[in-house]
Amino acid sequence: MDKRERLIQKIQNIAVKTPTQILEVPEKVEGFGSISYRPPSCSACMKCIEACEVEALELEPLVRLPEYLNVVIPEEGFRSKNRESLISLLQSLKQNGETQTISVPTGLPGYGSISWSAQKCIACNKCVEACKEDCLSLEKTYDLVSVIGEVEPPPVIEVPDWEPFIICFVCWECSHSAADLAGLMHLHYPTNIRTVRVPCSGAVEPIQIMTALENGVDGVLVTGCLLSECHYGGDDPLAGNFMQADFVRFWQSMLEEIGLGGRLYIDFASAAMGIKFAEIVTEFVEKIKKLGPSPVRGKLEVKS
Amino acid sequence: MKKLFLCTCNNTLNRILDFPKIEKEMAKSFDAIETLDSLCLEDGLSTLRQRISDDDQVAIGACSSQIIEIPVKQRISNDFISFVPLREHVAWVHPADIKSATNKAIVLLADAAAQLNHMEPPTEFKENMVERVLVIGGGIAGLKAASDLNNLKVGLTLLEPPGQNDDKYYERSLFMSDNETLVQEIKALCKSLLGVERVQGSVQEVDGQMGSYEVTWIDPEGNLTTQDYGTIIVATGNQQFLPSIAKKCRYGKSKRVLTVESLVAASGKRDVHESSTILVVTDPDIEMSSVEGSHLLRSTAFLARLGNTVFVSYSDIRTEDENLYRNARNAGVIFVRGKVTQIKEKDHGLICRIENTLESIVREVTVDTIAVSQIVGPVSDTARLALTLGVECDENGFIKIRYNKMKPVQTSRRGIFVAGGAKTPMSLSHALISAQNAVLEAFKIVRSPLKRFGWIPVIDDESCDVCKACITACPNDALRLIDEKVVHIPVHCEFCGICVSSCPTRAIEFQSHNKESWFDRLETIAKTHRQLERNKPFTLVYACSECANASIDQAGFAGKSYPTGTYVIQFPCAGMVSPIEILKGLVVGAERVIVAHCPPGGCHHQKGDHLSELVVHLTKDMLREIGQDPDRVRATYMIAAMPEKMQKEVGLHG
Repeated sequence: MDKRERLIQKIQNIAVKTPTQILEVPEKVEGFGSISYRPPSCSACMKCIEACEVEALELEPLVRLPEYLNVVIPEEGFRSKNRESLISLLQSLKQNGETQTISVPTGLPGYGSISWSAQKCIACNKCVEACKEDCLSLEKTYDLVSVIGEVEPPPVIEVPDWEPFIICFVCWECSHSAADLAGLMHLHYPTNIRTVRVPCSGAVEPIQIMTALENGVDGVLVTGCLLSECHYGGDDPLAGNFMQADFVRFWQSMLEEIGLGGRLYIDFASAAMGIKFAEIVTEFVEKIKKLGPSPVRGKLEVKS
Repeated sequence: MKKLFLCTCNNTLNRILDFPKIEKEMAKSFDAIETLDSLCLEDGLSTLRQRISDDDQVAIGACSSQIIEIPVKQRISNDFISFVPLREHVAWVHPADIKSATNKAIVLLADAAAQLNHMEPPTEFKENMVERVLVIGGGIAGLKAASDLNNLKVGLTLLEPPGQNDDKYYERSLFMSDNETLVQEIKALCKSLLGVERVQGSVQEVDGQMGSYEVTWIDPEGNLTTQDYGTIIVATGNQQFLPSIAKKCRYGKSKRVLTVESLVAASGKRDVHESSTILVVTDPDIEMSSVEGSHLLRSTAFLARLGNTVFVSYSDIRTEDENLYRNARNAGVIFVRGKVTQIKEKDHGLICRIENTLESIVREVTVDTIAVSQIVGPVSDTARLALTLGVECDENGFIKIRYNKMKPVQTSRRGIFVAGGAKTPMSLSHALISAQNAVLEAFKIVRSPLKRFGWIPVIDDESCDVCKACITACPNDALRLIDEKVVHIPVHCEFCGICVSSCPTRAIEFQSHNKESWFDRLETIAKTHRQLERNKPFTLVYACSECANASIDQAGFAGKSYPTGTYVIQFPCAGMVSPIEILKGLVVGAERVIVAHCPPGGCHHQKGDHLSELVVHLTKDMLREIGQDPDRVRATYMIAAMPEKMQKEVGLHG
């Protein structure tokens, strides 16, 4: 099983609600997106399919007539002059009434349309680059609805004597020192967190967050150096913590959709900010206490 | 200058067509118009020669291009001539209605004028051919082909399967003829191979094209040899196999069960014969070829003449010569139509139960020996060899030929021929003729540089998406992918235009037949029709230039009339028609569009008939979805032997 498949499986495992929205993908988040396909100009040359490394595209033996008939042919025309003629002829013959997609007779070369799998796509843009007819583009949206599918809500369970259990990823530069400082300063903060030291907040992978949630953790906290002060990139917009801030935003919106809203949080503290670190933790624990135990626990119970 | 020549066909056509009106109407499309009485005779032809110079664009409105084109092209070197069959397509099929017939003639001539605007000079190319032939032998036809090529003084290599010798030829060909003829023929052929390069080995790799195939073979010692050949003749011959019924007859388990061949061989060696009872079993599930049938009759007659009692259980026996059957009957062979259902072995013999399907009774006979009649098939190496050569096989594993009547030795790849048993079980005489045929075809190619002259598909690399649809569609291996570019190989091209219709981007266009020319012609036809006939509906027939066009000509000869509003447009092959041309026909106002192709399986370019059916199928589906009547478009076959077909297709709806 490849990494993307594992991640999607984990998201499916923790989902407690059927998603309904198509997610916006923040600017810096790569690897997640949607391919939009414009059948009219497509010549079924399959260059995109050859370029795709994860087999997310397939050629279907279909002629998507509704799209053919609704398209407005641009002034300079399509690159494929043949399709252009076909479409303009069909449009001029069109009578009123409903039009549906038709299938291509077996054995007839040169026709077909592309189908795209949101589950497999890693938004690498290679298909878009390979397409000569300009019929593919990469959109900054993520079709969570078709990736996750229907979700059956797990039973709500009572957890006696519940105390939040929180995983906190701390970068080993500033925020780990901040945690140390909090200790040196004898600051009190709740005992509910378990810290996991990572090189940089940017190194936290979604699969790690999902694994934590999958195991019944009530919340995941990611802390990093102050923005613009990342030890791996500084004020570069592609620095570790800048990237992770965007990614976390994306995962937060996704968790919201699948019924785990508010259980992921990112904040930043410098090595001198022991007090802030204690505050971050206290606040997050309070928030989780309000949310109650993770609904994934219900799923785990059903499983066991 | 644009010139129009009309022929009255010895003052007959002007009784049906209004020539002055035609001349008047065509004056706007042509610079000069002349009407002659008999264009096809020497007078007419010499007038044409005087009038036409090389840069003129000429339309000739006379009889079918099949009749007039050859004499005209022999005398005139001009490349821009359009032939309009006024006689077969107009006068002879619309004798009753002078006005409409004249209008139709005007529409067709206007179409010719439009066609001339798009005509490009044909492309000429010349390829040198390697003057050497590779004969992949193993069967008698291989020996014959090698011997004939040797007599024609063509360089050749006879590549025989490892371990082949004269005896092997005899053993493999036992079923082809009677013994004596066979032995003599093999001896004579082997003798005539003096000076021929005879090697043993099997083909490993074939590269290149007709005229220069680079062939690599491996000999029994494992050495590889590579050499260039102009053409290849496959004559690997046949092999005999045991049918599945052999197992049921206890073949291999009982000493009393043999093959017919081994029984004949054993009987032939013995001097004194004890007469015995023999049951010859044929497999009822396998259709017997006439070659196998003749062999069976010869063998059983031989066994019966030795004094044996011979039963033959059969379901169907075919023979090349009825005398063989009479001969066997006279020798005393007893034919039982039916199948063997049970065999029991006892000390005194084999008790066989035969279900007689002719009399619906079950018979039991006790025999001393069972002889299983073997079946004939391609040699076991054929499938691998075909794959290496890039040629197709049929469903029985034989090498597939292009067209039974017209291309009986051509394989699916140009420059590779098949002779003898490799394409079907053959008798000795047929195999020898087939080898001669293949030799002539191969000889024609290697003897002189190939010169071809015609309109070819032109590939525009700029707009090509390299989707390879054309490579898949081309029936002649004339398009190949070289360095990520589609390359046209003219020596293989048959100018059918199938590649054009398969190209989704129209990056391939056929010279003189590009999309613009079709659009222009269709618009001209519709415009002229409307000027003359107002709102009368008209039908467009897209006819392939082979069978369909011949059929429409024949309709003219036979006087099978159909409605006048029917305009025939010739395509090189029906496979060149794409939905675009069909839809354009409807858009310009045609009531119906009929795509006429060769009969199923009879396309001169292998798959044009099938592809045009698919294209029409798709177009109909599209029409249905956009709310048009799909029956406005249809695909049908037409064939010269059925002149009434055109009448049937068009006349019914007229």
